[in-house]
Amino acid sequence: MREVAVLGLGMHPWGKFPEKPLNNICRVAVEAALSDADLQWRDVQAVAAASSRFSGGKGWGLNGNDVVEDMGSTGVPVYNLSAGCAAGGNAFNIGCMLVASGCHDVVMVVGGEKMPKGFIQTSGLEDESDPEYLRQRCIGLPGPGFWALLTRRRMAEYGTTEEDLARIAVKAHEVGTHNENARFRQLFSIEDVLKSNMVSYPLRLYEICPVSDGAAAVILCSAEIARKKTTSPVTVAASAVATARFDDGIPRALACPIGSGSAHHSEAAIAVGRALETAAVGPKDIDLVELQDNTVYYELAFPEEWGLCEPGESESLMRAGETLPTGRLPINPSGGFLCFGEATTAQGLFQICEVGWQLRGAAAQRQVPNAKLGLAQSLGLGGNAAAAVLKR
Amino acid sequence: MSEAERVHAAQGLFAETAQGPRLLGSKCRTCSTPYFPRSESCHNPDCSQSDLEDAAFGPHGKLWSCAIQNYPPPPPVVYDEPFAPYAVGLVDMPEGLRVLGRILTDDPQAVEVGGEVELVIEPLATSGESAQQLVSWQFKPR
Ligand SMILES: [Zn+2]
Repeated sequence: MREVAVLGLGMHPWGKFPEKPLNNICRVAVEAALSDADLQWRDVQAVAAASSRFSGGKGWGLNGNDVVEDMGSTGVPVYNLSAGCAAGGNAFNIGCMLVASGCHDVVMVVGGEKMPKGFIQTSGLEDESDPEYLRQRCIGLPGPGFWALLTRRRMAEYGTTEEDLARIAVKAHEVGTHNENARFRQLFSIEDVLKSNMVSYPLRLYEICPVSDGAAAVILCSAEIARKKTTSPVTVAASAVATARFDDGIPRALACPIGSGSAHHSEAAIAVGRALETAAVGPKDIDLVELQDNTVYYELAFPEEWGLCEPGESESLMRAGETLPTGRLPINPSGGFLCFGEATTAQGLFQICEVGWQLRGAAAQRQVPNAKLGLAQSLGLGGNAAAAVLKR
Repeated sequence: MSEAERVHAAQGLFAETAQGPRLLGSKCRTCSTPYFPRSESCHNPDCSQSDLEDAAFGPHGKLWSCAIQNYPPPPPVVYDEPFAPYAVGLVDMPEGLRVLGRILTDDPQAVEVGGEVELVIEPLATSGESAQQLVSWQFKPR
């Protein structure tokens, strides 16, 4: 397999843009990535795109086709990837393979989405064969309630406090305030977070990511092309996708086998594990991680589940400031989902952009000093996950 | 007011049996994996031969975790008007099943991780003049 370089990074800021068509939002990201790569649209030989359930794509998830029609129909192959909120990460994986395999030299990966209001209703079906419908009809447990269950368990196991949870949100905004692409850039105090509305005890409004509109695009190319454009390109050390293990103790519908007794998102752990293995690095070698923080809980749980730190260590690292860009284990220097909100299928690519900018040393006030190796991880409905390790 | 008719929130998921309330699921004869709701095949990748039989689970369980639904969720969720926060739980049952459910209590704050619970089949909302009461499986702290 050939080495793959990340040549162009582009983003449309995250926010709510009711007046702006999705095509415009995607075009901003695509043009920014092309310009960053010093390439033209006609240089793009293939497109891997994240399929959205919420916007564009002609109702069929054909979001890559929308982009191609908008930019100019050159006849390029388009791969539309559906993986829930991991779709951007999955599309990145396919883009990498298209270059690594030698099929194409320049590939565009793109994800853009406009989200409806409110917390995400995962299926929208009203049918007793649909587990999500059954969960709401028979129990009444929307997504935040599920995160609250995981969080409460951690509180009982490790003594995590409500103040710890609030502190993670405070930290997210401390770094996100420096990111011009982030939607929520105001600073909060612990008291502000603790005073925000309780959504599902123990989780409060500012500890949960809302939905947003946004788009991100990435240009991947062969090392040969990258060398013509830059002397020290960011390259893909590994890209992996995975699905969940059956016995991980996370009920994805109404119930699951207890398994080992713990509960962890095995899909994320498998994807990250494969990515680290392929990159031939250990979890402690990672200089920064962009992980999927739909809620503050994941910033505590994921680093431990992946071996970035020891079980039960996350709170003390966070309290000591070690998860800031200047710390020992920088987590989400972009500000993460808490500051961006979730444009679901674009999330995996905003992470790639952030990791890429960090490795280039172009992240200004949120820069992780001397970052050489960065990890990006996304998670989606259906037990989907993607992970990538970028290096410079 | 005449007694409201009890309507199951979903069909075939739970029942009042001669032994008491039970969740209706399946169990694999080969690998003992429990399923709720019923499953036609075993999803355990390490199982050599999918061989499902009907199984009933309950009434005992222990709260692996619990939380509170603090805001009124959108339909099709059913709750008492005016809305009052209710407790939800993830319950480990001795049959090897981990199951989500609403917690039947007047004091959601008092529900604790590790607490013993018992399966009940009770209305999701008791207020209002409706001729029908939607009932579902719930867990009652012991
Ligand atoms: Zn089996």
